[in-house]
Amino acid sequence: MEPASRHPWLVRAENLGRGLENALLIVLFGGLSTLAFAQIVLRNVFSIGLPWADGIIRLAVLWLAVVAAIAASRDGKHIAINLAERLLPDRLRRPVEALMDLFTAAVAALLAWHSWSFVRDSRAFEDVLLGTWPAWIFQSILPIGFALVCYRYVLRFVAQLRAGR
Amino acid sequence: MIIAIGLLLVVLALLGAPLFAVIAASAMSGFSREGIDLSVMAIEFFGIAETPVLVAIPLFTFAGFLLSEGGAPGRLVRLSQALLGWLPGGLAMISLAACALFTAFTGASGVTIVALGALLFPALVQAGYSERFSLGLVTASGSLGLLFAPSLPLILYGVVAEAPIDDLFIAGILPGMLMLVLLSLYGYWLNRKSRAAREAGSVREVLAAIREARWELPLPIVVLGGIYSGYFAVSEAAAVTVFYVAIVEFVILREVPWRSAARIVRDSMVLVGAIVFILGMSLASTNYLIDVGVPQRMFEIISEHVSGPGMFLAALLVFLLVLGAILDIFSAIVLVVPLVLPVALQFGIHPIHLGIVFLAAMELGYLTPPVGLNLFISSYRFERDIVSVYWATLPFLLVLMLCVVIIAYVPELSLFLLG
Repeated sequence: MEPASRHPWLVRAENLGRGLENALLIVLFGGLSTLAFAQIVLRNVFSIGLPWADGIIRLAVLWLAVVAAIAASRDGKHIAINLAERLLPDRLRRPVEALMDLFTAAVAALLAWHSWSFVRDSRAFEDVLLGTWPAWIFQSILPIGFALVCYRYVLRFVAQLRAGR
Repeated sequence: MIIAIGLLLVVLALLGAPLFAVIAASAMSGFSREGIDLSVMAIEFFGIAETPVLVAIPLFTFAGFLLSEGGAPGRLVRLSQALLGWLPGGLAMISLAACALFTAFTGASGVTIVALGALLFPALVQAGYSERFSLGLVTASGSLGLLFAPSLPLILYGVVAEAPIDDLFIAGILPGMLMLVLLSLYGYWLNRKSRAAREAGSVREVLAAIREARWELPLPIVVLGGIYSGYFAVSEAAAVTVFYVAIVEFVILREVPWRSAARIVRDSMVLVGAIVFILGMSLASTNYLIDVGVPQRMFEIISEHVSGPGMFLAALLVFLLVLGAILDIFSAIVLVVPLVLPVALQFGIHPIHLGIVFLAAMELGYLTPPVGLNLFISSYRFERDIVSVYWATLPFLLVLMLCVVIIAYVPELSLFLLG
């Protein structure tokens, strides 16, 4: 099932990608839990409120979820109804899975494309978030995330085809 | 055409396409039919960043994964055994109570069967309970506790239904207890004459077990006490839990090595990502469905055939049982609650009560053949064929069904503690 097993540079890219996902997940999760905890301590012990913290935490949750969804695509852990897996005869399973991967890649591609235009518009209108920050910086995770999910499912699709030959 | 696309998407979902893709495709085909630019998908998805309590989900999920990594499950079993082992049917009761507590803290990811069931199943068999009873019990216990704070499905329902999560936490107490009590009574009744060993209660063992679990014991008290007393908001309690569990597991007990942290973060966040991705897509699809008036039309169609809240609840229960057998609880909440809630409100059903009924009924879905999740985890974990797991679990499923009916038709059970 490792699609990249034959090309050393692809293997390296895979490892790099996985490491990057893990690093981002740790930074985002560590950051948001620390901030959430610090907020409680500051409020209860020092009576200091951080008015900007809630907004940042919510954005961090979005980023965390998108990065995690990219990781879930790599691990094949997106939530699905696994009825067919159990009921289909063996020889049909692979073609059906390939078809599902292709469908998912297509949906993710559409999502990536339209989020890209969402980010472009937001940049053109100079939307802001958290006071004065340009909103498109935070929104740009959407096209990037959907594009990577798409890439992941294209790889899965190719791997299915290869294994099926 | 609309029907053809709908059917196609249902087939894709049943064939195993990821649900986020199916939901996104259905929303996009709807929006494009209405001539709305599809960047609306991104706008709606970005709404995730405007949902306040959502942060509790990654926090509690991580804490739950971390807890099941260390020795907490073993200590929990030992402590409950010391406290309840002397009762007839005591070990069965212990299993139920320990699993419920553990599931409440770890969410509904099947981790209870793997972490606790693996300890309890051999203990039950060794104590003289029949293998079939023991297998059914640990399988059924795997999702017990969904109604207790701070379980993820409760939080997710609060987020989706925009209902106060503190109220949901309180509302779940009595219905959750009802399930525990009825299952315990069943275990007691079935084993009243059996030779199942009873441990003589020993004060020394209780003290030793308490001492061993002294670092975990404050956790439910701090978290639940904090939430129920209103001292902590839900997301604050989640942050406190993460810090507390991390310090206990990594620093004080050192049961989990630091280098596992990356793996635990990844494993737990992958689940979070999968849930939130579906949530994001369904924010869009729900908005579309409400725009075109689907809930209103549903209400009109339903009220032609259904008169009054009683009949509506009956229909709802049947629907949820079928739904629970094919769809996991998180997707079901995110997809179905926004449609059912407005209809239920028109029938005069309290949104908090609806939430408890919804989750209780979906809890059965974990145990409903042919595809209930717990059945598979159990069959895999204990190396029994799936059909014998079906049979072993069936009596427990029937008891739980009775509970769900009571919970549905006695709203006071959910609402009483809310005053």
